[in-house]
Amino acid sequence: MILVPVTFRGGVYRHDEVMDYIEDLGGYIIQKHDIAQEVVLQVLIPKDDIERFRSFVRPLAGEVTASPLVGTEIAVVIPSLEIHHLPHSACDIAEYLRTVGAKTNMVGLARGFGKRISQLNDEERDVINEHDVAVYVLGNFETCIQEKFNGLRRGVHVPVILTGAPPVDALKRITDPPAAGYVGNLGRFMHRTRTEADIGRLDAVVEEVARVLDLSRDELAQDPLSVSPARLQDVIQEGVPEIDEVFSPTPITVQLAGVRVKLPFTRYAETIRRLPVEEGVTVSDIADVIPSRMRDYILVRIKPFSETHIVV
Amino acid sequence: MTTMDRYEVECFEEAGRDIYKQITSTVLQDHNLTSVVSKLRIFIDPRIPIFVAVGTIRDAGGSIQVSDVGSVQRQADSATISVRDETHLAKLLVKLNTIFGYDHVDQPDRFTIIISDTEIPADFEGMEVANRADTVFRDLIYALTVIAPEGFKVRRESYGKRRFFYVASENTLPEHVIEGIVSEQFGLIGEELQ
Repeated sequence: MILVPVTFRGGVYRHDEVMDYIEDLGGYIIQKHDIAQEVVLQVLIPKDDIERFRSFVRPLAGEVTASPLVGTEIAVVIPSLEIHHLPHSACDIAEYLRTVGAKTNMVGLARGFGKRISQLNDEERDVINEHDVAVYVLGNFETCIQEKFNGLRRGVHVPVILTGAPPVDALKRITDPPAAGYVGNLGRFMHRTRTEADIGRLDAVVEEVARVLDLSRDELAQDPLSVSPARLQDVIQEGVPEIDEVFSPTPITVQLAGVRVKLPFTRYAETIRRLPVEEGVTVSDIADVIPSRMRDYILVRIKPFSETHIVV
Repeated sequence: MTTMDRYEVECFEEAGRDIYKQITSTVLQDHNLTSVVSKLRIFIDPRIPIFVAVGTIRDAGGSIQVSDVGSVQRQADSATISVRDETHLAKLLVKLNTIFGYDHVDQPDRFTIIISDTEIPADFEGMEVANRADTVFRDLIYALTVIAPEGFKVRRESYGKRRFFYVASENTLPEHVIEGIVSEQFGLIGEELQ
């Protein structure tokens, strides 16, 4: 069953029916936002049932749009958290990626500024590696990007998308080894992104991230996961009631090949490992439950079929 | 940026130059400095690396006196200031406390300051509270810190006589090198480093 990421927007009225319908179709609700009179659901739904779902929500004045980044966690990496990068351009990029369903985390490096003096520490490297893709928001000069980029991605094994002011061709020319994706004409700027040209550049970031994630999905499809991350999210949600007491917007963050559970590792890791997914199969049989470098969260990495010989 | 008499950004990288022109424009507008700056020339060479900004400012306005903050009513050895404009009130209070001492200065409400049991100087109304020119230069240097590429932590700045320069780099640069570059940049906008 191929699950497609979509966003549903509609009124509060009868939205519980929509949620029930998604579950009946075999889909998963990744995130739910209640915004005044509006409900926004980020959903993974079976590909064959999309049209059926659209016709179901039409009488309720609901809107279903494709959101290629639902169910992914993206790191937006910036050289520092100084005024040079915040709130524009880093926040603008992170926020724009959220509008298409991604869960973005901003990683402001402790000593990422400058070209000769920039560096990446082990904690930053490990945090970036816990994401599905990393978007590096670098500056305006080719000379600087060329010199510092390799230092800033040392040890990072997730796909990296490089953004900077030089055009894409120049970015490609100066990166060796090549990055997974490039977005040009988007360096450091100090104004709010509201013109058509600015929004166009942000759309280019979304497109590039979606393209890179599609490649990752294709790679995962070669050796499928033992369980879908969205299903694992459901299992944890039902099996660990304490998750409802977490105030984070996404207490369980769904990634391409795992989930991040925002509960303390020492207290809940064992509980999660013992959760039954199906009869005779527990979470520990199909996934590694490891501590995250982000606070004291839990990272659940789903093992591929080739390792477990189980698909649930 | 049309209010500036001269405005240039020089860099061998075209994309970087255009964006720095835009960044400078936005930051100066955000800090309300576009009408104050008369000439501005920025030179960036990321290979050295160095960021140089030189320029001149227009008349930023005269000094702020006690009579600009509020009206003064004198009575023998005391005076009451009825505050009109609160912008420089904090500075005025600091100044009054320094001159007359805390025991003689009181602010019973937001718009009244009473100075009592002390000799009030004859030219008290004309006493300088703040100088706009100082603030303008400080604001300008702050704005240039925001404009300059991040990580250029080693910097040298100077202002006075309506001229300013700001040099920043990642590396320590010898004094004579800085002076040479700054003089050259001033020369390009028809000014001299003094």
